[in-house]
Amino acid sequence: MPPSKTRTVKNKHAANKSGIQGSKSSKSGPQDGIVKQKARKQGPPPSKQAKGRGAAGALKRKKKIYTEKELGIPELNMVTPVGVTKPKGKKKGKVFVDDKESMTTILAMVQADKEGEIESKMIKARQMEEIREARRAEEERNNSERKSKLDETKDSLRKKRKRSSSRPSDGGDDGEGAGIKDAVSSGTSTARPKKKRVSFA
Amino acid sequence: MRPLTEQETKILFEKLANYTGNSLKDLIAPLSDAPNADRYVFRVIKDRVYYVLLSIANLATSVARDNLASVGICLGKFTKTLKFRLHITALPILAAHARYKVWVKPNGTQPFLYGGHIVKAHVGRMTDETPANVGIVVYEMNDTAIGFGVSARSSAESRKLDPTGIVVFRQADCGEYLRDEDTLFAG
Repeated sequence: MPPSKTRTVKNKHAANKSGIQGSKSSKSGPQDGIVKQKARKQGPPPSKQAKGRGAAGALKRKKKIYTEKELGIPELNMVTPVGVTKPKGKKKGKVFVDDKESMTTILAMVQADKEGEIESKMIKARQMEEIREARRAEEERNNSERKSKLDETKDSLRKKRKRSSSRPSDGGDDGEGAGIKDAVSSGTSTARPKKKRVSFA
Repeated sequence: MRPLTEQETKILFEKLANYTGNSLKDLIAPLSDAPNADRYVFRVIKDRVYYVLLSIANLATSVARDNLASVGICLGKFTKTLKFRLHITALPILAAHARYKVWVKPNGTQPFLYGGHIVKAHVGRMTDETPANVGIVVYEMNDTAIGFGVSARSSAESRKLDPTGIVVFRQADCGEYLRDEDTLFAG
């Protein structure tokens, strides 16, 4: 926020030393926006300064003191790098576990985890085994079905052949048998001329 | 020599729990019901973990660090990436609390002790319902523990396996006492 009025202050740190209460110089705060805790302590308490204007004026003039976090300075821009700073009040070095209770607690936790893991593994294995079993059973059923179908067709073919072979003099009214006979008869008639025969009566 | 940290204890127990069942808690149980009864503790020397009686561990503090080669039973060592590797020296403890077991036939003992995995043809017996990829302790047919490993397949699957199929991946065997003699206890 720019100052409403331009003033020339030769020594800004000596501003409060005028000794006149309510004067411009006594009212003005520090110009740089950052107030250090030390500086506030050195100066007169704000309640004394605000005597002339009342409590409301004092509240208005109370400058907020910013901590380093609130200022939003980048963390990497510090004197000590981020990783180097160690938490205060913590024990340095390793924390050992040697008492029976904490060992038992850790062991119980680990065992519970492992139990769960193994249990889930076994359940999964069982499920997989069931699926495999079902698949195998289905395959077997399909195979047996296919086999029975094949046997049926074989049997039907065999029956047909038997029927045709049992009635050879009928002239072959079965399609297949007749066809073959025709072919044989026609083949003989067309391909070969009849032999001349001599008969002696 | 120092006790284990919380993280190290967790890692160690996770590894041991791969091979053992609920009886693992007996490992750290006090030896008697007396209030100040002696018990077994874990101690780290360099990167190796030892399983030792508390009274012995306390006595061992009087030995200079350079002079103390080993105390108690060496279970294994922590790698630089903070994983725990079990040594064959931990076999008696694992065998006593084993959850899954496999027994190898006499013709399979030698191949295993020479560092080979266990194939189906060499398996004499196996714990039923062993899942895949869990720790398993290897025994001879006369119940002598000779090593440990990780199951490659579940027991149900391994039944249908061909004779040359691997059932257990070897992790440690008693042959290491000879093969790794110079690095097993130091270095």
